[in-house]
Amino acid sequence: MKRVIIIGGGVAGMQTALRLAEEGVEPLIVEKEAELGGKLRGWHRLFPSFTPASEVLGELRSRVARRGIEVMTSTEVKAVEAGAVTLVDGRRIEGDAVTICSGFDLFDARIKEEYGYGIYDNVFTSVDIERMLNEGRVARADGSRPRRIAFLHCVGSRDEKVCQRHCSRVCCVTGVKQAMEMKELFPEADVFNFYMDIRMFGPGYEEMYREAQQRYNIHFVRGRISEAAPTIDGRVQIKAEDTLTGRPLRMSVDMLVLLVGMRAGETNPAYEAAGLGRLESGFMAPRDSFLGNVRSRTEGIFYAGTVTAPKNIGETINEGCAAADAVLEYLKKS
Amino acid sequence: MSFYAPFCLPFIIGAVVMFATILWKWGSWLYRLPHADKMRILRGLPTTRTLSAAWEVVRESLLHRRIFRVNPLLGYMHMSLAFGWFLLIAVGWIETVAYLGFRFVPLQGHVFFKYFATGLEHKPVFDFLMDLLLLFVLSGVALAWGKRLYSRAMGMRRTTKHVLGDRIALSALWFIFPARLVAESLTCALYGGGGFLTGSIGAWMAGHIDAGVLIYLESAAWWIYSSCLGLFFVALPFSRYMHIFTEIPLIFLRHYGLRSSEKESAYDHFQIEACSRCGICIDPCQLQSVLQINDVQSVYFLRDRRYHSLRLQTADNCLMCGRCAERCPVGIDLNTLRLNSRDTMRNVPDEKRYDYLQGVDRSSGTGKVGYFAGCMTLLTPRILLAMERIFKASGEEVWWADKEGGVCCGRPLMLSGETDSALKMIQYNTELFRKHGITTLVTSCPICLRVFREEYRLDGIEVLHHSEYLLRLMRSGRLNVTHGAERFTYHDPCELGRGSGIYDEPRAVIEAIGELLEPAETREHALCCGSSVANTAISDGQQLQLARSVAAELDATGASTIVTACPLCKKAIARGTQTEVRDLAEIVAEHLQ
Amino acid sequence: MPVHFGYTISKPRAIDIDHNNLRKSDEILREMPELQTCIGCGACTAVCTAGNLTQFNFRKVHTLVRRGEYQGAYEEMNKCMLCGKCRLVCPRGINTRGVVMLIKRKLGDF
Repeated sequence: MKRVIIIGGGVAGMQTALRLAEEGVEPLIVEKEAELGGKLRGWHRLFPSFTPASEVLGELRSRVARRGIEVMTSTEVKAVEAGAVTLVDGRRIEGDAVTICSGFDLFDARIKEEYGYGIYDNVFTSVDIERMLNEGRVARADGSRPRRIAFLHCVGSRDEKVCQRHCSRVCCVTGVKQAMEMKELFPEADVFNFYMDIRMFGPGYEEMYREAQQRYNIHFVRGRISEAAPTIDGRVQIKAEDTLTGRPLRMSVDMLVLLVGMRAGETNPAYEAAGLGRLESGFMAPRDSFLGNVRSRTEGIFYAGTVTAPKNIGETINEGCAAADAVLEYLKKS
Repeated sequence: MSFYAPFCLPFIIGAVVMFATILWKWGSWLYRLPHADKMRILRGLPTTRTLSAAWEVVRESLLHRRIFRVNPLLGYMHMSLAFGWFLLIAVGWIETVAYLGFRFVPLQGHVFFKYFATGLEHKPVFDFLMDLLLLFVLSGVALAWGKRLYSRAMGMRRTTKHVLGDRIALSALWFIFPARLVAESLTCALYGGGGFLTGSIGAWMAGHIDAGVLIYLESAAWWIYSSCLGLFFVALPFSRYMHIFTEIPLIFLRHYGLRSSEKESAYDHFQIEACSRCGICIDPCQLQSVLQINDVQSVYFLRDRRYHSLRLQTADNCLMCGRCAERCPVGIDLNTLRLNSRDTMRNVPDEKRYDYLQGVDRSSGTGKVGYFAGCMTLLTPRILLAMERIFKASGEEVWWADKEGGVCCGRPLMLSGETDSALKMIQYNTELFRKHGITTLVTSCPICLRVFREEYRLDGIEVLHHSEYLLRLMRSGRLNVTHGAERFTYHDPCELGRGSGIYDEPRAVIEAIGELLEPAETREHALCCGSSVANTAISDGQQLQLARSVAAELDATGASTIVTACPLCKKAIARGTQTEVRDLAEIVAEHLQ
Repeated sequence: MPVHFGYTISKPRAIDIDHNNLRKSDEILREMPELQTCIGCGACTAVCTAGNLTQFNFRKVHTLVRRGEYQGAYEEMNKCMLCGKCRLVCPRGINTRGVVMLIKRKLGDF
């Protein structure tokens, strides 16, 4: 039986493995964390349907378990080549093909110092909000209920100042989703979303945006927050330009939520060292954007998921299947 | 004895043109000096300053001590040409006196003495001395030729690209001394005499060349020698070689206290024409080394300004980091000249401008100590917060000048050449400081610090950078920090280090907290972060390239934290590295006992 | 007469690109093509020291200049203190201080 090494056990890795197993190939998932699931483990509900993330994650995990797919957890890959990977502990694992599904990293909001994340209380990231939702307790630092919440789009995306030129795509709809969730938790609160452009690219997204505006009464302000400062009473004062009126705007909020973007995975430079191409954004470069979009420059090494670009979960699942198909085609030939 | 031959003519014409032009230039510059500067000269003349200036002329114009510090070989080259030539003239004059006693000898008689003195009995001591000196100068010429081919040997990665006039003068200069060697040797071949150099070559020539041919060759060689001299002299006042004569009055004027300012003045001519275009300023320029911008460096800026072909793009494209001025062997005040060029090109006084500042006061708190965060610090709240904790810990009552947003200090405007408009901000902030009765003004922005110290009239208010202030608090025991094993490296902000001479205070503060690791280029030679407000010409991408190169050098120290003392440097460097970049105040606040 | 740039337009309301002379605008963009990359996020105006004390709106002024609406732009840009905060926050990395100086140079009398 042919063996395929899959780097990363998130959505892309699990889906690729499942598809390969269905077709009679033996996948091996190498996951650096202690359990499968990747970033999906940190999410609460998924846009646009508000499906609990645990449902998707549970289903994928149980399918992997049912298929008896071999998984190495808490195992980190150091180097990759066609047909083998080297682990951090020096072990070498051989196979017939490699699929890289190592995903993305989250932008560290502390880098945008002017927004005060990690400095002031009551400045959060979208990841914090998902975590608090999962924990079942969303509140300000002092435990009180927020009466006014601001979301800021494009933190660590489309920003030359932090060398992140690309659009992370999913933050817009995440911002809308979380705004709606906040409004459900705190119906009395006012929610403001500060955006540069709203990019609702997926099916049902635009409808969700409209619902947020019309039914949830969420305010959308077109302007990028330039700085945040603490007020004496522990709130956060933000400054932006309300570009649609052309006037500077300042307001105090109880919670400022930064919608952090996706940055290229920190292991990508190691792949580049193995001769694989990287894009200017730091994400891995597929052979082309069409028929070769899950193939790397090197024969026998494939990509699936956000290792090549920001993607949503649906797209990532599709790409897992596409990558598995490309691997199968390659294995047939070799 | 006659001291005239037809071949002397090119030399005489050249010398007359040169001296006339130089005198006219000096005269007109001195005449156009502001009255105050003229008075400074008059007051300085009868003092010891004149003596120390003369001593500096010997050290720098003749011996080129500062170039020796850049590279010994380069220093030797300059010294052999300048000091060697000077000695040739001086010893030549003594030689004439020794032969003829004190009597009037025209200039060409001294210069072409070998030609005219064939009938006199030889004095071997002078033959030897003059040959030795000629050899000394020729060694310099040889090095200059070598430098054209391989400049790295003299510590220069890049040399100046010269204009045509310079090339003509340069070629003439290169041939003066070989021509002299040949001419004197030929004379020795015909009439005997000469030292180990000219005498030996002459003897060899006499043995190998027919006497009839030698006569023609001798005449031709003296013509060539004289022509080279004449050509060089005519070109000198209009080429870079004007520096030979300009550096001397410059040194005197500098000793009398003359300085360039943000407005152009006649004194600037002395600085501009004292530039020898040696090109030592090119290598330290990061615009060159990192961005490969090759036509804006100080040498080209001064050249263009001197020939009235300065473009705004050239004047603007400079970080004003001062790395070149630090190396300039002539000590030209490059940044100030750049500033007053920008002033001339851009300053449009407008009385009404910034009228809106009237009555604005967004300050808060009360205290004898005022804290001016500066515009950039408002975008780095960690610094602001750290200062707040430090003030609290030391029990200082503070008046916050601009926490809610203030008015710019005016330096960015000055750096862009809008000098008169900057005065409005200076006036506004001065009144604000006075109104609140502070006695100490602390700022964490070196850009503000510099303008407060240099342009504001803040008598009775002590202006401190927060690095100085922090150290003072620590030394007086009002602030206690814990010392640990953390390894820091420190980036000298240009405006703080080279600009204000503050190098030791931030280092002392860091060493009180942890270990300090110095980067490869540090203190006076520290790199610029690339985001300097003085440069409005380079793009964001180019700023990032500069930041990355600086960050790489800081990272190479192996320190876990990069410390700096300027909000702009902090922001800039953080873009180029994964290592944490902190302000001095942050690490102090973090290590408070 | 006080200048009310961009806030009171007495003549026709529309920006008439057919009639506006875009020559200066083209010149400005040729010298600084990056100005076209502005996505109008307003961060520059939000941090602007002058913009918080007056009606000066950097984003609006340069956008109008790009459309060939030059009237009053020089006077507006003259309110800028060149402090450089806008350059520090611009997500597109536009050399905003350079833009201010360029527009003043092209539209001023010098």
